[in-house]
Amino acid sequence: MEDQVKEIIARVLNVEIGDITDGLSSGDIPQWDSVGNLAIISTIEQELNIEFPLEVLFDLTSVQSIVNEVNLLMNV
Amino acid sequence: MFDAPHSQVLRLIAAQAVNTPDKVALVTGLQRVTYAQLADHVEGAAAYLRARGIKSGDHILLSAQKELEFVYLYLAAHLLGIVNVVIDSAAPKERLDYIIGIVHPVAMFGGAVDAEGYDFIPFNEVTLNHDKLDKDILPSLEPTDVADVMFTTGTTGMPKGVCLTHANIAGSASNTNGFIGTCADDVEALALPLSHSFGLGRLRCVLTVGATLVLVGNFANLKAFFNVITQEHVTGFGMVPAVWQYIKRLSGRRIGQFAHQLRYIEIGSAALPIEDKLMLMDLFPDTRICMHYGLTEASRAMFCEFHESADDLDTIGHPASSQVEVCVLDDNGESVADGVDGEICVRGNMVISSYFLDSDNHDSFFGDWFRTGDWGHKGANGSFYLTGRKKELINVGGEKVSPVTIEKAIMSLGIPDCACIAIPDPNGVLGEVPKAFLLKSDISIDEIRQELLRLLPPHEIPVQWEWVDELPRTSSGKIQRLKLKK
Repeated sequence: MEDQVKEIIARVLNVEIGDITDGLSSGDIPQWDSVGNLAIISTIEQELNIEFPLEVLFDLTSVQSIVNEVNLLMNV
Repeated sequence: MFDAPHSQVLRLIAAQAVNTPDKVALVTGLQRVTYAQLADHVEGAAAYLRARGIKSGDHILLSAQKELEFVYLYLAAHLLGIVNVVIDSAAPKERLDYIIGIVHPVAMFGGAVDAEGYDFIPFNEVTLNHDKLDKDILPSLEPTDVADVMFTTGTTGMPKGVCLTHANIAGSASNTNGFIGTCADDVEALALPLSHSFGLGRLRCVLTVGATLVLVGNFANLKAFFNVITQEHVTGFGMVPAVWQYIKRLSGRRIGQFAHQLRYIEIGSAALPIEDKLMLMDLFPDTRICMHYGLTEASRAMFCEFHESADDLDTIGHPASSQVEVCVLDDNGESVADGVDGEICVRGNMVISSYFLDSDNHDSFFGDWFRTGDWGHKGANGSFYLTGRKKELINVGGEKVSPVTIEKAIMSLGIPDCACIAIPDPNGVLGEVPKAFLLKSDISIDEIRQELLRLLPPHEIPVQWEWVDELPRTSSGKIQRLKLKK
């Protein structure tokens, strides 16, 4: 699942998959701005058929936090 | 201390350095720069530029990154009469090539995502040669000399260089501060991009009144932005409507917790729905919520403060100061009566006199009135109202996108013909997004979308697609995009 989430983030931001490290946070690279962040959230929701609860959106600030939340929602 | 008769912006910063030398001017991460240090570093950067042989009238490319050296070089260039060409570090290669091809910069600073083939000097390699600037040989400059060239999106798809003089940028800061009321006690968080007129303008506004500017990467990490507001006791910030939608989506009404400390919020670059204006007024009952109407060529031409205009939230406001005039003209440049729609035109201390390329000046002015390309009218109360846009640019969350750019990219993939228009963002975030109409072809939409990711930034990729048998064109062959909107 982690690899799939990272692949989606890389594709949405149009960067190499190798650039998507666990510690990478929104705002760290020019492509990951607010528009990029929304695109990441909606693409993950659409492709993995999940919906992030409203109260966690504020905390999805890094690759790691997104992976963790996806794992939680998909009971991985 | 340096003397800069041509630049009111520099004179005001120098005065702060003399009068309040220990006041913090800039904050980034753990670094704090006082006004005395700022003035010193500007001189150091000027000495560095001069040591590199860069002189008055030369152009330098500055990549708009939230680095202290960006600020020092930007102001140092003004001191020496060097013209700043400020670019987005994420600018696509084609845009970068075009800009570099016409301005011929003598040096490039910062870096760019797509900088292949260009020799950028990273900001961390800029050495500030303190005490080395010979102030006796500063060039003689005029307020009417060009200070900055900002590139905006032209209707043809090619960027247009907007030549802002020292007087223009000083006028803009003075008009804006006069309306919003930013003062030396304020602390502003700047998360807007510095490559845009709005963000760079905020930097000048804050530093010319002796307030403190906290540089924040962007709004993507909203949690970090909220932490900055708390930790730095922020009293004001600027945002575009798309950012407001983002804040709402990710944090609901949580930002209201800062109502007691936020004295002002400036909003601009695109329209904001009435319900959002009402929500902001509810969340921030004592904050000046100032929405500007403006464009790179005319900075902030008009302002509307929501609480003051509570009964008239449809308006785009009234002229930003007594130095600004706004009128409505018909196609012949003749004045129309109040209430009658025409093209909104502006003139004043912050309005440009010309574009970088003379060919871009064509149809841009009626005498000294700058033509905004927006349609609207003046109400009986003296306020102005927008009714449409003459130019066909698509305003994606404040980023102006030319339909021609998208159409060219799509047709380069083998689609025989296409046309793009603005549609309301179905997600209600970005204001407008592109929709493409395509002549039938063997290529699938998914394939086109995938290929476009290589050619265009994500916000320029259409979100809706429609196959058509033909596109409406005038007898001369020009696409009639307005017909596609029906």
